Amino acid sequence: MATREQQLTEVFVEVADSLIDDFDVIDFLQKLSVHCMELLDVAAVGILLADENDNLHVLAASDEHTRLLELFALQHDQGPCVDCYHDGLPRINVSLTDPTATARWPQFARSAQDTGFVSTNALPLRLRGRVIGALSLFRAGPAPLAEQDLALAQALADVATIAILQQRTLALSEAERDQLQYALNSRIVIEQVKGILAERWQMPIDEAFGIFRAYARAHNRKLSDLARAIADGTQGTDTIRAFPSRATETDS
Amino acid sequence: MISDRMAEILRRLQTKEWPDVAADTAELLAVDGIAVSAGNAPGGTEILWSSDSLSRDFEDLQLTLGYGPGRDCLADGIAVRVPDLGRVHEGRWPALLIEASALNVRAVFCFPLHIGAITLGALTLVRRTPGHLTPLQGDDANVLAVALTKRVLDLGSPLRSAAENQDLVAPVLHQAVLHQATGMVSVQLSVTLTEALLRLRAYAYGHSRTLTDTARDVVDRRLRLEPDPHPTNVTEDEDED
Repeated sequence: MATREQQLTEVFVEVADSLIDDFDVIDFLQKLSVHCMELLDVAAVGILLADENDNLHVLAASDEHTRLLELFALQHDQGPCVDCYHDGLPRINVSLTDPTATARWPQFARSAQDTGFVSTNALPLRLRGRVIGALSLFRAGPAPLAEQDLALAQALADVATIAILQQRTLALSEAERDQLQYALNSRIVIEQVKGILAERWQMPIDEAFGIFRAYARAHNRKLSDLARAIADGTQGTDTIRAFPSRATETDS
Repeated sequence: MISDRMAEILRRLQTKEWPDVAADTAELLAVDGIAVSAGNAPGGTEILWSSDSLSRDFEDLQLTLGYGPGRDCLADGIAVRVPDLGRVHEGRWPALLIEASALNVRAVFCFPLHIGAITLGALTLVRRTPGHLTPLQGDDANVLAVALTKRVLDLGSPLRSAAENQDLVAPVLHQAVLHQATGMVSVQLSVTLTEALLRLRAYAYGHSRTLTDTARDVVDRRLRLEPDPHPTNVTEDEDED
């Protein structure tokens, strides 16, 4: 078992390595979510980004199970992430069983509890005095997040922000709004391709995505590029299907 | 964050006909011309909407040459902002730079009309003077591009008036289940993602169900759409009041 310091070092190195390279934003944020989950000892992590109408949408999560994605998706208009997005202040150790929470966000609180979560945290994705989204953390136990974990969580949220705005430095547009729209649309491409693969391979969505992601990572392909190539038919899927996914899926 | 005037333009865009807001939009964004082109396949591209001859001429130029910021924007799936065409490397769009100069176009801003891998067209703003869009103008243009995306999609399946049509506005547009279902239907029917999305919508309307519920049934494999070359004529079931 690695010490916390070792874990932090590994994460820092991996993040720095990715950010200087031509990385895939969805894949990067997904890995960051997993790191976040491990370092902060929380049950689930999601990274939410605001669209042009100030609605929050999930861009990446610590696991891609549809049920969890839908819980994050509920936070487009309710839950502590929305409040955090609007005033830029973190919402820490929000109990999901507290009557205030259940009255204020009935659907969100119920779904989160049904998924097995007891408390939630929301931290802002900050950018020069603005907020572009939120980092959403769920805990399955009653223990609160420690003060030092909060600082780390905020630092990880800031890394997510940097990654989102760093994604396409080669593109002519460096406008922030364009970058955000690009990231949101990349997420949609991934979902479309999940459907294509699940139907073509006749298997559950989550399983199909697992194979797809394992193949992309093993072949050093960007998730979004591979997904686009599948969607437009320039990339066949038989070789991906044949790829043994188990070996790389156990990367924790 | 968008301007009040853009919010008003978006309201007007929801009417059945293509409303005459192009000129107002150009004025709001402080550009000299605005155009929307549909399609991204060579030969399959057409100008749907334009405010004036300047923007039409520039679109024609891009369509004729088969390259330019509009095409790049569609290929990369991200906006292309060229605040000064005079400072673009000449190898990037060789003939276009010369012709644009002859048209007296100095700045071009292209925004993709897309839903994931579905590419429907591009919104192009042209200006006779160089300079960046302000952050608010850029946000307005992005919001407009999202609204126009839905508008162009509706052209492929005019099931009912856009004013009632709340199916593809956020947050529905960002629901994972909708896009997963689109992918599944495209395989089931051997059609493009665009056609698959239109078929999902047609089914939802035809059965008086929400798009989300329909998509969920597809993803949960409770519903499988059947091939049908004529997916229209479902409006007859609709309540006109």
